[in-house]
Amino acid sequence: MAFPAKYPQMNATELTDEARRVLIRVIRVAFPHPSFPDAPYERTADTILREAESSTWFRVALTQGLITLSHLAGGDFRTLNDEDGTKVLRRIETTEFFGFIRRTTVLNLYDNEDVWKILGYEGPSFDKGGYINRGFNDLDWLPEARIESYDGPEQLIEVATSASVAKIRGGENTPATERDTSNQPGKRDATMMEMTK
Amino acid sequence: MSTIEHDEAAIVIIGSGAGGGTLAYELTAKGLPVVVLEAGPYLRNEDYVNDEWEAFNQMAWLDPRTTSGSWRIARDFPNLPAWIVKAVGGTTTHWSGATPRFKAHEFAARSTYGRIDGANLLDWPITLAELAPYYDKAEIAMGSTHVHGRKPLPANNNYTVFANGAERLGYKFYSTGPYATNAEEYDGRPASIQDGFNFQGDKNKSKWSTLVREIPRAEATGLLDLRPDSHAVQITHDASGRADAVLYLDKDGNLQRQAARLVAVAANSIETPRLLLQSASPMFPDGLANSSGQVGRNYMRHTTGSVYARFNDPVRMHRGETMAGVIADESRHDPDRGFAGGYFLETISLGPAFLASFSDPGAWGRGFTEILEAYANTAGLWIVGEDLPQESNRVTLNTTLSDKNGLPVPNVHFDDHANDIAMREHGYAQAELLYEAVGSVGAQRTPPYPSTHNMGTSRMSARSEDGVVDKWGRAHDVPNLFISDGSVFTTSAAANPTLTIVALAIRQAEYIADQLKTGGI
Ligand SMILES: Cc1cc2nc3c(=O)[nH]c(=O)nc-3n(C[C@H](O)[C@H](O)[C@H](O)COP(=O)(O)OP(=O)(O)OC[C@H]3O[C@@H](n4cnc5c(N)ncnc54)[C@H](O)[C@@H]3O)c2cc1C
Repeated sequence: MAFPAKYPQMNATELTDEARRVLIRVIRVAFPHPSFPDAPYERTADTILREAESSTWFRVALTQGLITLSHLAGGDFRTLNDEDGTKVLRRIETTEFFGFIRRTTVLNLYDNEDVWKILGYEGPSFDKGGYINRGFNDLDWLPEARIESYDGPEQLIEVATSASVAKIRGGENTPATERDTSNQPGKRDATMMEMTK
Repeated sequence: MSTIEHDEAAIVIIGSGAGGGTLAYELTAKGLPVVVLEAGPYLRNEDYVNDEWEAFNQMAWLDPRTTSGSWRIARDFPNLPAWIVKAVGGTTTHWSGATPRFKAHEFAARSTYGRIDGANLLDWPITLAELAPYYDKAEIAMGSTHVHGRKPLPANNNYTVFANGAERLGYKFYSTGPYATNAEEYDGRPASIQDGFNFQGDKNKSKWSTLVREIPRAEATGLLDLRPDSHAVQITHDASGRADAVLYLDKDGNLQRQAARLVAVAANSIETPRLLLQSASPMFPDGLANSSGQVGRNYMRHTTGSVYARFNDPVRMHRGETMAGVIADESRHDPDRGFAGGYFLETISLGPAFLASFSDPGAWGRGFTEILEAYANTAGLWIVGEDLPQESNRVTLNTTLSDKNGLPVPNVHFDDHANDIAMREHGYAQAELLYEAVGSVGAQRTPPYPSTHNMGTSRMSARSEDGVVDKWGRAHDVPNLFISDGSVFTTSAAANPTLTIVALAIRQAEYIADQLKTGGI
């Protein structure tokens, strides 16, 4: 990221408590769940901060990114409402800074019981005997469905009788007698080191 | 468990998943001792955890891999082209259990579909009729529901939505299987308790895997020398071009050599070609068994995609068997739809952690959080259809990056064929119609996950110029080298691959035993 030299604080690489609070707000604006309390967002912010501590590159990106955000917000990002906050984040969504926050949030915010409960996911179930007696089939707003294979009069037609190969993209009709069974293009190279095609 | 000396020329199988585990059992059951080299640890059902990321990190193959090509995976998961398990039992520990068969015409894709630009289509050297008896054996071994007298699994909530939608859309060929998980006690294993953790390894042992069936039975013969934490790095050969040993790294990273009279590779479709390419020698400069140049090529992953639909009422898709729901109506070949080949629709469910990571990679903001907010009211299905082999879709060695053992990592290059895209679009549209028919209020089109179905990188062919192995999975170039996994698929068909991998391995075991007896190998 390139920063204008006129901001001396751009050199900061330590994350302050205020930075943490801005980060929490960034996560909530980017991943808005009205039903979530603060705790899951705080936990996610702390995970991001911990990961940043173990990598100079992420720490620099995060520190500088949070400062830049304040400038884009015209002061303090936390004072923006959801809509304005989202607009600011859209402007920086391709940065390493935001990518790091987004990736880490996606991987961590939803990987915890505190949000599972709210979302209606019940977590580990084997120790509770699975769902065989706990509602695996309790859906009551649709009729019961057949589970056996269809045994009515119709047959699955595996190859449509109208099958004309010409309709397939790039396909063409070849009389059966002329068909060879391979369409191997020309001579093959065997360069095994080649990475792209 | 038997111990086979390192300098005793043994039958060596690499990999203990669907292909390798089955082959090991079938050969030991015929009285043949085998060494199985398995890169991963020997975990048991008790070790599995009911937690998506924890289970994934416990068992998935996480050694570095790279990607290239226009597939979205290269952007979203550049170092995770595939979801493959590294443990005894291989990916059958994490698989869900859908076991449809291939259709007759799918063994003759080139003849049926004709020439398609950009596709490297070829007919299989075998027919459905030849494989049918082995499909029977595989279904009986795996306990597939709906066939051979096995009861169907009951409907779970996700299935009830799926099947009602199917019925209203006019589909006929839907049911809760075939699915290789016990609806009632079978083969010494209990009925499913519908715990919803198929993808994390089934602690209850109701789901078939080689870990619960073939490996313990092979051990019981006293003829299996199973070596977990043993990563094969090269197959060597003698002056006549016959495989004579496998070099592997043991748990401590020490290089070991197991002499071999026969080698069967079943390391799944990325590691199998990687091992063949790593085994290049002056006699086989392009990689072992690669005179055709087809090793690593024609990599297929099935045309997939998911749709997660939201309703006004609860579904709770996470309760119960993940994939016990199949619709076969679209599995036909009908070019009027604008593409060759067909696809199945199958139920699927993810927990919030995986749904967040995979439902729309890169997304954030309200559109994204809506998907998660609706979790309890969401139903999900997966599209799985035939994808076309392309020469340029390919596993190669990436010599600019090495793994912790100093070996070049595999690179997986993939571009969708126009046919794949047309099929996926059709599947998405049908899935949305299906859910609309039962009142969905919104739907998310989810792109393919890191590939769970990996096929085609050492394909079967009648002629040695067109592929790597013959109709028995025997290398055209090396008489005592066999490939025993999904790498041998000439084309992918629409069906989930594992039943076919197991059927081919059972058939291959008969052939190997017979050839060893008659001196044909
Ligand atoms: C989440 C999920 C769901 C799935 N659901 C279904 C389904 O419903 N139906 C279906 O048909 N299929 C399903 N599959 C796919 C199925 O698991 C695979 O098709 C099948 O396991 C492949 O068998 P295989 O023998 O080729 O490889 P694997 O089962 O992957 O076994 C390969 C083994 O080789 C080992 N290995 C690799 N390299 C080396 C080496 N160099 N040395 C030693 N060992 C090595 C690996 O550690 C692994 O244990 C699913 C897969 C996943 C991930």
